[in-house]
Amino acid sequence: MKNEEIDDVLKKVARTPQDLDLRLLERIDESIKPSLRPVRPLPPVWRMAVGLVLVCSAVSLAGAARSGFFGAAKMNLLERSLVFPALGLLASVAAVSFVHQMLPASRLRLSPGVLLALSSVALLAAFAGLFRDYHTDHFFSAGIACLLIGLLHAIPAGLLSWLMLRRGFAVNPASAGLVAGTLGGLAGVGMLELHCPNFQAAHILVWHIAVVPVSAALGAMLGWELHLRTRFRARSDER
Amino acid sequence: MHFGENLETLMVRYQQGDFAAASVLVRHISPRLHRFFLAKSMSRADADDLLQETWLRIHKVRHTYRNGEPALPWFYAIARHIRVDHYRKSVRAAAGERELEEMSKGVTTTSPQAGELEALLAPLSESQREVIAMLKVEGMSLEEVARAMSSSVGSVKQKVHRAYKKLRETIGATTPGKWRSGGQA
Repeated sequence: MKNEEIDDVLKKVARTPQDLDLRLLERIDESIKPSLRPVRPLPPVWRMAVGLVLVCSAVSLAGAARSGFFGAAKMNLLERSLVFPALGLLASVAAVSFVHQMLPASRLRLSPGVLLALSSVALLAAFAGLFRDYHTDHFFSAGIACLLIGLLHAIPAGLLSWLMLRRGFAVNPASAGLVAGTLGGLAGVGMLELHCPNFQAAHILVWHIAVVPVSAALGAMLGWELHLRTRFRARSDER
Repeated sequence: MHFGENLETLMVRYQQGDFAAASVLVRHISPRLHRFFLAKSMSRADADDLLQETWLRIHKVRHTYRNGEPALPWFYAIARHIRVDHYRKSVRAAAGERELEEMSKGVTTTSPQAGELEALLAPLSESQREVIAMLKVEGMSLEEVARAMSSSVGSVKQKVHRAYKKLRETIGATTPGKWRSGGQA
């Protein structure tokens, strides 16, 4: 059987008249009529994305301002001019991706998994090229402290981002959560780069960058959990 | 519409609170969404319920439609979300109430059209059925299907290719002439 023949069969099925009950359509009309008021459409994608980047930058800067800018002060000009623009660029990509996740039928250029992999690999490459101190002092104790500090900033950044786009609608809440978590994770890494003066390569490559996937995983779980709660609440309201 | 007036303009008028536009959209989009639900091996009663649920959701999130973007994938993205939710719920219910399901099998009513489409698409996986239903039955473009499925055009093309391969194998080999003659054998 040729493709054209399959097409013909499918078209024939598509042409079959649809016997949809008119009373059903009237019921739908009646259900939406009472609450039919003008609504304010969402702002353009770029404006929401800029807002998200600003929120994440504010969280990173506020955290570093509270704990001290020791990392940024210790960096040389080359390190500063590579690390922060790279983080800014990745955060912008993640912000645009998150906005698209919150708009149904948006054109997705990057899947959430690819975004997470891209962010992690890009940071690994940049940091591996810049930091060449291969000593490992207090690898676990210092590392876990940094991971927790990073997450402590990633979580509010992700939640604030979610709050900013609360008028959106995620058709896939787990994916949207994963992207919000990635964005928050980048804010967490930004805070660590501003604050942490430990430039040992292993410390940065393992513990700083780990903030991104851990935060993304937390975001995906939270997105799914919120989805289930919303659905449960909707069902309770129906009853 | 009528339907000459495009969906995008109607969507904007719906966002502005125009009931006439909303009503035209309900009449124009509902048969397509209903057929989309029926193509997923669903009973007519379930498809009716899901259609109502989809419209309630569409109404609630109508502000997320952006002027200038294609409207049809937006409707399908929401319908798909509702259907996936329903599917998960039914899988969970089926696990706990297998006996009840067995009993209800005998009384589930499916429209003749749903039966024909269901039989035709039966050998395909869930995602392949979805793609074929949107692309070939509803006449959407690859780009529109990709948007509705939150996927890439490449991934949609791959699913279509695999679906056609499977359809060729099953339709061509097992029942030659059944579909070509234009109906159920």
